[in-house]
Amino acid sequence: MSKPKFVYVTYIRTTPEQLWAALTDPQTIRKYWFGITAESDFKPGSSWCLKFDDGRVADSGEILEAEPQRRLVIRWRNEFKPEVKAEGWSRCTMQIETADYYPDVGGKAVKLTISHELEGEGTKFVEAVSGGWPKVLSNLKSLLETGDIAFKN
Amino acid sequence: MSKPIFVYTIYIASTPEKVFKALTDKDATEKFWFGHAATSDWRAGSPIEFHREGKLTLRGKILENDPPRRLSYTFQPMHPPHNGSEPPSRVVFDLEQQKNQVKLTVTHDDFAEGSKVFEGISNGWPLVLSSLKSYLEMDRVVLHAPWYEKQEAAAS
Repeated sequence: MSKPKFVYVTYIRTTPEQLWAALTDPQTIRKYWFGITAESDFKPGSSWCLKFDDGRVADSGEILEAEPQRRLVIRWRNEFKPEVKAEGWSRCTMQIETADYYPDVGGKAVKLTISHELEGEGTKFVEAVSGGWPKVLSNLKSLLETGDIAFKN
Repeated sequence: MSKPIFVYTIYIASTPEKVFKALTDKDATEKFWFGHAATSDWRAGSPIEFHREGKLTLRGKILENDPPRRLSYTFQPMHPPHNGSEPPSRVVFDLEQQKNQVKLTVTHDDFAEGSKVFEGISNGWPLVLSSLKSYLEMDRVVLHAPWYEKQEAAAS
């Protein structure tokens, strides 16, 4: 039996450098993640957390792998919903690949694959991230392509 | 073993009317769907066909047309490597206005056992829907699908 998992792929007209910056820069993360900020230096072994505007911790964990412009792996636990937190740790892998052919941006564009897998058993965590990631990633795509976000609360 | 189902949600800064129009317009589909132009009279029960460079690439039957909320049709790829070898599956587009944007959910199911089409569409929808979003938000498609260039190179 495979682990509970959510996978989402999106294609963005940007560069691996810009996408990596957007995934690891707290000020940019704020813009597309509904005001949530990240606290981490995004180096392997470093702590990582997401915080709401009011300072509450939304999620916490540790950077497992960070290979700039290619791959970021975070050990991740929800902290603000007791029933989701109860399901424990998950692993989120963000993979950046260059997509083959975007002629009008000089061949620069990327495929971003988010794969978020629970370490243990349960359905609440995957349900929660299945709702959240499409919003966050739709916003990220809009921000990088148009300078604005699609989803405004 | 449960039957495979593919679900993909994307948020687009647009209106349900514009998204629905893009999904049901020959010129729009040709632009964001990598050259596949959709033609149909869009009435329930009517055929739908996609052509690329004059060749039939996909065909089906309109199941539901409820603008701007829901569109559904059967889905039978006619291009290689499928060539119409599998019975049609089913795709449903659900559109929902959420403030200044549209939540578009694509649900694709009713696949034949051991379907190869399922694998194909699991790779294809993120590409097509990423392109649709860019088309509507910035009037540009995301990319040209790389596999056509590869196919043509292989054929020559």
